[in-house]
Amino acid sequence: MTDSQPWPPGGGHGAGGPGLGEPGPGGRADGQDGGDLAVLLGQVARGDEVAYGAVYGQLAGHVLGVARSVLRDPAQAEEVAQEVLLEVWRDAARFDAARGTAKGWVLTLAHRRSVDRVRSEQASADREQRAARADISYDVVAETVAARLDAERVRRCLGSLTELQQESITLAYYRGCTYREVAALLKVPVGTVKTRMRDGLIRLRDCLGVD
Amino acid sequence: MFRFRRTDPHTLAGAYALDALGDADRARFERHLSGCPSCAQEARGLQEATSRLADTLATAPPPGMRERVMAAAARTRQNPPAAETPHAGWPARVGSRGQAGWRGRGARRWGMLVAAGALGIALVLGGLAFRTEQQLNQMRDGSRAIAAVLNEPDAAMMTVTATTRGSATIVMSHRARALVFTAARLPALPSSQRYELWLMGLDGPRAAGMLPPARSGMTVPVIVSGLRSGDEFAVSAEPAGGTRHPTSPMILQVDLSS
Repeated sequence: MTDSQPWPPGGGHGAGGPGLGEPGPGGRADGQDGGDLAVLLGQVARGDEVAYGAVYGQLAGHVLGVARSVLRDPAQAEEVAQEVLLEVWRDAARFDAARGTAKGWVLTLAHRRSVDRVRSEQASADREQRAARADISYDVVAETVAARLDAERVRRCLGSLTELQQESITLAYYRGCTYREVAALLKVPVGTVKTRMRDGLIRLRDCLGVD
Repeated sequence: MFRFRRTDPHTLAGAYALDALGDADRARFERHLSGCPSCAQEARGLQEATSRLADTLATAPPPGMRERVMAAAARTRQNPPAAETPHAGWPARVGSRGQAGWRGRGARRWGMLVAAGALGIALVLGGLAFRTEQQLNQMRDGSRAIAAVLNEPDAAMMTVTATTRGSATIVMSHRARALVFTAARLPALPSSQRYELWLMGLDGPRAAGMLPPARSGMTVPVIVSGLRSGDEFAVSAEPAGGTRHPTSPMILQVDLSS
């Protein structure tokens, strides 16, 4: 991990960073940063299937990773990931570059859908127990150096948070817990969890150089 | 246990970005966001940061998933920008194969932001084609006028399908007596022709400007002002220099009355 890599890549674009490159059919040599991803989404919005293939190549691994992290069950995760990717195709015209990066849009959707699925299926008590048992490890199968650097940077920034900030954020994001569940798991007041989530994310945002 | 009303809703921005709010809390916080631009901006920044957490999770999709997703996309109809279910209060008549509905007057501000966003993308895409400073200046002036229409409190948006191919997004304000028009995937015309915009009033059609050629299938937004009550808006393919009266069938026609 080197600290000298410019961030965000390409200057002020606030871009999502190089994703998992996929050399297969439909992958494009361009489209390596979020700016290009936004252009690709514009093309997808007009029915361009080649552009959609390129978006898939850059983000499918992330979308699936989010779904697996929250849902745990691989079959269910794949199902949700496919739904999310299809939603990207269907609603590409609704992506608004003025409101964030293309990568952020897709991955926010991926997390939201995964969380929706897990909450629609399980009583919260059951989930709390499960979350309590689950170890918080986030394994990566990073296939490219760029993806590994991205992951490394996120881990380093997470590591700069206080323990409570870090635990609150990881339980919510990687396990899909609500803040009330996080409070119960960590045995701290809900108000504290809310504040730690917010100031932790602010610190994360600043560390990652997100606009 | 439930303290939302007594606590400062601002503190929920982190939990919101992490999808850690229950449905009721989420709905309330989103209502709060719609009235608090700085909160919405903070929430977006935190969401952006949150989505980076996925960088640690990227994994190789199983074989076959790509084919399944691509095949599903190929048979899935795409939604137009910010299309909503037609609002009962504001019917619209459109060209033969068109289907459309105005977002009603009660449409939330949020709807307009989406509309502005869709047009913003058009601006960005169209912007790629612009090179000279003069053109950039013209575009900036145009953008200001367009933004003014989008920001009118009564601005309403609709998307409409052309009888030929492609679709158009129209944002109209009766108050400003103006509309903003952008189109996607209209059939390309020979260089001797352009699309001409029309306002069809009681006294017959009035030429309302020419549509610049599309880039990558998308036209830059154009503004049409001087709407009168009872006008319909229409588009036809005409000689590149423009005509005073339509000479070919309308490919798109919209009733603008409320």
